Amino acid sequence: MFGSNKGNRNGNKSQPQARADGSKLEPLSPNLTASLQSIRAKLGNSGDVMIRALRSDAMPGLEMAVVYIRAIVEEDHIHQNVIHPVMGWSAPLEPATWMETLRQRVISTGATKLIHSIDDAIYALLDGQCLVMTNGFGQAVAAETSGGEMRSVSEPNTQTVIRGPQYSFNESMTTNVGLLRRIVRSADFRMKTITVGRKTRTSVGIIYMDQIADPKVVDEIERRINEIDIDGILESNYIEEFISDQTFTPFPTMMNSERPDTVASSILDGQIAILVDGTPFVLIGPATFFHFFRSAEDNYQRFDISSFLRILRYVAFLASMLLPSLFIAITTFHQEMLPTPLLISLASQREGIPFPALVEALLMEFTFEILREAGVRMPRAIGPAISIVGALVLGQSAVQAGLVSPAMVIVVSFTAISNFVTPQISMASASRLIRFTLMLLAGVLGIFGIMAGVLFLLIHMTGLRSFGVPYMAPFAPVYNQVWPDMIIRLPWWARVYRLLATSKVNPHRQQGGRPSHQKRK
Amino acid sequence: MNRIGTYQLFVMVIMFHIGSTPLFQLGSKAKQDSWLAVLLGAAAGLLVMVVFVMLQQRKPDASLVGLMQLAVGRWAAAAIGLLYAVYFAYQSMRNVRDFGELTSLSLLQNHPKWLIMAVILLIAWYTVVNGNEAFFRTTQLLFIVMLASYCSLAILIVSNRLSRLSMLRPVMEEGPMPVVHAALPDIFSFPFTQGVIFLVFWKYVANWKAVRRASYWGYIASALFIVFMNAMSMTVLGPLAATSSLPFLEVVQLVQVGNFIERLDVVVTLLMFIGLYVKLTAFYLAAVLVLREIVRVRTKWTASILGGIIYAASFAERNNTIHLWLGLGISLKLSLVMQVAIPTVLLVLALLRLQGAERPAGAQTAAERSGG
Repeated sequence: MFGSNKGNRNGNKSQPQARADGSKLEPLSPNLTASLQSIRAKLGNSGDVMIRALRSDAMPGLEMAVVYIRAIVEEDHIHQNVIHPVMGWSAPLEPATWMETLRQRVISTGATKLIHSIDDAIYALLDGQCLVMTNGFGQAVAAETSGGEMRSVSEPNTQTVIRGPQYSFNESMTTNVGLLRRIVRSADFRMKTITVGRKTRTSVGIIYMDQIADPKVVDEIERRINEIDIDGILESNYIEEFISDQTFTPFPTMMNSERPDTVASSILDGQIAILVDGTPFVLIGPATFFHFFRSAEDNYQRFDISSFLRILRYVAFLASMLLPSLFIAITTFHQEMLPTPLLISLASQREGIPFPALVEALLMEFTFEILREAGVRMPRAIGPAISIVGALVLGQSAVQAGLVSPAMVIVVSFTAISNFVTPQISMASASRLIRFTLMLLAGVLGIFGIMAGVLFLLIHMTGLRSFGVPYMAPFAPVYNQVWPDMIIRLPWWARVYRLLATSKVNPHRQQGGRPSHQKRK
Repeated sequence: MNRIGTYQLFVMVIMFHIGSTPLFQLGSKAKQDSWLAVLLGAAAGLLVMVVFVMLQQRKPDASLVGLMQLAVGRWAAAAIGLLYAVYFAYQSMRNVRDFGELTSLSLLQNHPKWLIMAVILLIAWYTVVNGNEAFFRTTQLLFIVMLASYCSLAILIVSNRLSRLSMLRPVMEEGPMPVVHAALPDIFSFPFTQGVIFLVFWKYVANWKAVRRASYWGYIASALFIVFMNAMSMTVLGPLAATSSLPFLEVVQLVQVGNFIERLDVVVTLLMFIGLYVKLTAFYLAAVLVLREIVRVRTKWTASILGGIIYAASFAERNNTIHLWLGLGISLKLSLVMQVAIPTVLLVLALLRLQGAERPAGAQTAAERSGG
């Protein structure tokens, strides 16, 4: 079903040889004026289409034209490497081989191609190439001249480290691949490019290490991306949602990163990176639950502190998911679980609070979520105003007014801060949503409700897969080589195995074992 | 269906047999010798486990119904299979009811039982619908929690010097007979021969050669653990252990560390939750798997209908007293038919059939008799 029309759709998206409906492509007319006319017409006579008529000394009688779209090419480049050599070419030659000569000897850009149809010509123009056309030939030479403004490589904004590389991807896929190639200088570095999006025709690159990544997973990712049929891809999340194993789950099954070093370490672990042109965020998959608690910095710090921090992140994640619901459950149903002094202190705080604990907690959590969203959306200049309103008015005054208890403010704040510890924001968001559900359960069924909710999540998670890799691996099912490295960060010489244990391809990262100078005693 | 790993099976055998048993005082009829009774029951159960494994060995990739077809005819196999489905569903129902009773006893005194039972059954249903892979993996994760909880509780109990070995003496005050009476058939029947359920699951194990090792060692480990926990409750509570409905809860309530860690009830509740969940889901899943083989309906439908029946049936007993009376009385004895008698007869028949393949008719009637 899918295989039969794959070829057509695919062809339509990249350089088409035939239309999706099977009809022949419209050929370029040998008459230059007619060709230019139809190209203009196809592009709707847009003002940014530049047509430069010229003549060459080599073929004095021939009218020629250079066509390009102004904003997406490098005009200097066109002047120097296309127009200048064409006009200056004076060696006599055979008229019959003019187009070949033009392509092979005259134009001095990186890539050139002969084009025969109007549609190919349009696609070439839209890709930022420039066309050189000659009257009397039903062909055009497309020269690679794409360019234009692009943000330069800068410091990462969302995934910062104290120690480690301080640069991040930008919006250009070419640049991003370059950044990766500069880290992994291996012949095994592989990249497959697929064009996705009927209108945007966005380049999507699958990057992996040959001999390390599981070829079946690579094929599967390629197949799923090829299956996407949408008009536009603007960010990598489009791809993520299309190719994830399951849509209806709060848990992300692919990581994303804007750090080249993180992506490089992932592909060395046997994961596969998906770059999308136009966004600095690169997708990484397959990813298990435990992958989301690894930060790039773990690798750059001593193993002891990294291990401590990693465990801390798991604890913080649990806290950010469970703490408000536990508080609700205990204060509402299970007061006997608290030591008496604590119980008295809590009870006296709650005295005079008009709401049940559940309502109080929901109120505060919603307030915090709103503050947080406001913090992300608002213009930078009003930032201080929000923090004053948030901290003073909503926090302190709400307590003084007797609307919420101080303990609840502490719980909500701690929960919120715990939430920021998770290195991957997509996973942190999952815990935000789950928190609300668990709070409701706790408000109705107490601790039992929380247990039921968590068990439900566990069952859900053990059933999840990320490109065939069980989501709870390496703990369920157990992969012995890998799981210690998921809880703590082993010293580098002990990290013998690549993290994606399901792949049977080349599982060893190194020989392993203590360095020889440490062995002698 | 997906394959089950050896370690997963090992964990499941342990989790299933442990279930919620350590929370109760098995063999309290034998007073201070209850741990000996448990040990005896476990030893007897090991023999039955051997029978189960031998039966499965006839045809490692056969399901329970398939195994029965080796011994008896197709229709008889279906009939006995149906009987097993009913039995598994019944056991599941008992666990659901236990769950409702114990939760409202210990954790949520003011909540209606129907709500609690509906929630736990909903979770079990979700597990069953997700298939045995999700169930075995979830159990694997719960195993870590359970192990950690029991170990830390045991350490706390011992370090609090609550345990007095003198409570276990004198050993066999009135000779061995009370121990034997406590062990057979009660402890033998619950929980030690309930492993009949693995005749349903073994076929999904990827590596048959490892099944025996995983099953035996899992069984032995869980048996020793149950004996240990039983003895520990006895050393703390002494004669009181027999009278309480949740003796382990009372043991844990005695634990005190500093002035802060003193209410560990929640850990016990967690253990009870995990244990009963694993057990009731295992039975539920087994019932669905058996049933689906006989009446070929989609798993989702089988699970939903069966879940509804289990839920309805869990209200059939009027109150907890009847529930316990049935469970400790007639139910234990009748279960032995399903857990010991039928598998043994099947094994004998299968062995006979293997020697002289020309006697299917006689085999069929014998099986029907034992089935009825």
